[in-house]
Amino acid sequence: MATPRPLGEFEQLVILAILRLQADAHGVGIGRALEEDAGRSVSRGALYTTLDRLESKGLVRWRLATGGEERARLPRRVYTVTAKGLAAVRSSHRALARMSRGLASILKDSGA
Amino acid sequence: MRPPPRLARWILDAVLPHTARGDTVRGDLIEEFGARSQASSARARRWYWRQTLAIAARLATGRTVGSELTDHTAHWGSAGLMDRVLVDLRSATKALIKARGFTIASVVTLALGLGAATAVFSVVEAVLVRPLPFTEPGRVMWLSETFSDTGSTMGIAWPDFLDWRLRLHAYSDLAGIRPTTFNLTGGEIAERVEGREVTWTFLHTLDVHPQLGRDFAESDDRVGAAPVALLSDGFWRTHLAANPAAIGQRLTIDGVTRTVIGVLPRGFRYNPLTNDAVYLPLGAAATEDSGLPDRGNHNNVSAVGRLRPGMTAAAARRELADVETGLRREHPDTNANVAGQVIPVTERLANGVGSVIATLFGAVAVLLLLAAVNVASLAVARSVSRRQELALRAALGCGRRRLVGYLVTENLLVALAGGLAGLAVGDGLVRALVAAAPPNIPRLDEVGLDAGVWLFALGASVAIAFLIAVLPGLQASTARGQQALVRASRDDLGASSGQRARRGLMVVEVALAVVLLTGAGLMARTLRALSTVDPGFNPTHLLTLRFSLDGDRSTPARIEAFDRRVIAFYDQLLPAIEALPGVVSAGAAPSLPIDGANWNSVFVVTGQPVPPRALLPSASFVPATPDLFSTLGIRQRAGRGFSASDRHDTASVAIVNEQFVRQFLPGLSPIGQRFKQGWPETPGPWREIVGVVNDVKLNGVEQDTPPEVYLPMAQEPASASALVIRTAGDPAAMLPAVREVLARLDPMLPLFDVNTMDDLVNIDLARQRLTMLILMGFATLALVLASVGLYGVVSHGVSARTREIGVRLALGASGRQVVSLFVGQGLVTSALGLATGVAAGFAMARFVEAQGLLFHVTARDPIAFSTAVATLLLVSIAACYLPARRASRVDPTVALRGD
Repeated sequence: MATPRPLGEFEQLVILAILRLQADAHGVGIGRALEEDAGRSVSRGALYTTLDRLESKGLVRWRLATGGEERARLPRRVYTVTAKGLAAVRSSHRALARMSRGLASILKDSGA
Repeated sequence: MRPPPRLARWILDAVLPHTARGDTVRGDLIEEFGARSQASSARARRWYWRQTLAIAARLATGRTVGSELTDHTAHWGSAGLMDRVLVDLRSATKALIKARGFTIASVVTLALGLGAATAVFSVVEAVLVRPLPFTEPGRVMWLSETFSDTGSTMGIAWPDFLDWRLRLHAYSDLAGIRPTTFNLTGGEIAERVEGREVTWTFLHTLDVHPQLGRDFAESDDRVGAAPVALLSDGFWRTHLAANPAAIGQRLTIDGVTRTVIGVLPRGFRYNPLTNDAVYLPLGAAATEDSGLPDRGNHNNVSAVGRLRPGMTAAAARRELADVETGLRREHPDTNANVAGQVIPVTERLANGVGSVIATLFGAVAVLLLLAAVNVASLAVARSVSRRQELALRAALGCGRRRLVGYLVTENLLVALAGGLAGLAVGDGLVRALVAAAPPNIPRLDEVGLDAGVWLFALGASVAIAFLIAVLPGLQASTARGQQALVRASRDDLGASSGQRARRGLMVVEVALAVVLLTGAGLMARTLRALSTVDPGFNPTHLLTLRFSLDGDRSTPARIEAFDRRVIAFYDQLLPAIEALPGVVSAGAAPSLPIDGANWNSVFVVTGQPVPPRALLPSASFVPATPDLFSTLGIRQRAGRGFSASDRHDTASVAIVNEQFVRQFLPGLSPIGQRFKQGWPETPGPWREIVGVVNDVKLNGVEQDTPPEVYLPMAQEPASASALVIRTAGDPAAMLPAVREVLARLDPMLPLFDVNTMDDLVNIDLARQRLTMLILMGFATLALVLASVGLYGVVSHGVSARTREIGVRLALGASGRQVVSLFVGQGLVTSALGLATGVAAGFAMARFVEAQGLLFHVTARDPIAFSTAVATLLLVSIAACYLPARRASRVDPTVALRGD
């Protein structure tokens, strides 16, 4: 497999969110995860544009699932990360880990 | 849970494709909105709006938003019409986002102008245009009699009405109406209700049929007929639990037991101002002692008639004039000064507010024009600065029509965005207007932004788009190929024609601002004049309320007994009220200052020749208790006031106001003069004038004080009256204690029209205050728009002429000279605008004056005009000086180096 193009930071966060959420990985869940866990406030328009880009790069895939009353019975789009996507996020993560080596004392949260 | 904002949902529906992909985005937004609503619904709404606008903006700039946006790779030449439009739209959106300053300024300007227009249009629609709740209201006329000399309206004498019914043929139906209020007793509580006495043809004339029971029949409408009543739907629901068995039930109305024969349809109101609960037959009330059969008595009767098919209002007017001429010949002693009038009922029912609304409409038209001019000016400026871009497009083979089409698209987008934002502004303004409006504007509770208004805003936006596209569009389209490219590179030359156009627009803008500012000034001066009018009494710390005692007045003996009861009631009531802690004094009279007279009568003066009936002097008569004058703060000018010793069995006396003396007893000493209320032949006591008091504004602040006669309450007992209480502290706080006193005396007595005197004065001025507030708002807006416009023109002129400035400075001109050059040019523009504005302002002022909105201020009021001109001049100087100062700081070496 060819080495995938490096991921943008926001793309990484989105893929990680999808991996964590699994069956709940639809727009609302991803947005909430980004907001609550990554502290990123993101416009839904930008989020969907990013998801579309990841899809066109073949890094994520989605299927339709039925929606409940809470969303006026409109369908949900549940995302999964493709093998290519997994490889891409792993490679990004490895690069980050390599670069962080030996910097633990600096990178450690000062605690709050 | 509340659903997401409707307008935002609508926008999303319009921009997102209706596919499974689009639906997932919609669903996500709804779901998240729901989750966010639980924390704060307002914040959730804002969030939803932000997402909607962000998504719309992304789609417009050609990005995807989780949905398959078709890939437009269309080329200029081969594209179909739809594709061209899409390409134009996208390219225009991008261009507008790039030119953010221009876009925001234009959209905000349009939003304010359109918002104001939409709001006023909504009010006009609801109050004047929306049809009344009966068939073909346009064919229904309202008729009354008038004073033939002044043209002012008076009620129809009942015998005249009976003659009309025989002699007028223009109407398929004609009905008499008299608004009244009734005491309703016999239930658990006593109550005062509004209602109307009408002739039996009333509902027939309006083509309205009872939803339950039957209409009045001719036999119900005669003196001596069994007493019956019709009820409104509202009354039937609130008081009779919407029970169909209400028909045949009995109600005690003004002491008479009546049988309910029918219920009117839901939503029916003859006059939207009133809340009529009960309708009684008017003909049955025309008993001998009611005064109705006297041709000289103009009670509060009016008439409505439905025009026969093919009959016009003008023909109906001529017919009534002929009939009135006949009546004048036949009854010269009563009808010599009587004429008739015919007005469409729709106009009559919007009476009095028409002038305010017409003025507002005019102001809005001016504001809208101003907004359009401002946006046009911005568009011209922009088209000048992007001459090079447009020339490039033309040089690359973009046809002239295509180029204009593109510019129209751009302007259309701006106008639509402005229209949309204007709708939101309009909604807010309507709410504010309804909240600030005087309470007597009909149907105001029905005002809301609706589809018609939305269309109005849309139409106005599109019209404005084309208006503002024409100028820059045509200008750009004259630019041709290479020549344009060459010209465009030397932008000081290219700018000059645009600069001229903008100066022209600025003249218009300044002129419009002067008009609005002058209008606001005139209203402010009017309001000031009105609020400094001496009402002749002291309105603070006064509580007023009304009541009406019921009694049997069927025989002279019973009338006498009732009168004694009424007098006794006052004798008990007033001392009891005055004994309350916090009450300074209390009085009673059926007519209150500002609130208006409710008894006008003719009279005869001793020692003066008796004129024919129609020319007898008349005055407002007000029975008053002794303490009324001190309670209101009315001052004694001569003689004495009333006292407890003026009883029904002592000498008949009266107190008159100064206007009475001026008008009827000029040059005479009023004290000791004698007169008699009523017709010369009417039996009645001759009264001696024992005192003179100062004039009070009886019929509102604006109206001149009529001649007025006060009679001792003990000699002319009024069973229906207002109680006036002067309090030491907050008058409204005294109300419970006062109610308690009245309930002790008569537990079944309904109280109504509870007000403080200050409120009555304020309500009276509300029309002017509202007009002034709105005009002030508009004028401020106009000032801001005009100054921003001027600033833009001068500032643009400065940047376009940088090179020239450089030359001037290099040749030795001082910074001050450069500043004065630009300020001077700006001021010439603004002076032209000021002159035009003053001329237009005179026309506007005459219009406002004709609407009767000015008080003690002439249409040529120098203060209003000079203030407007001075304000605009100052603002213009500032708006010109700021950019001109920049010119003086131009570095000649930089400027001359050129592009």
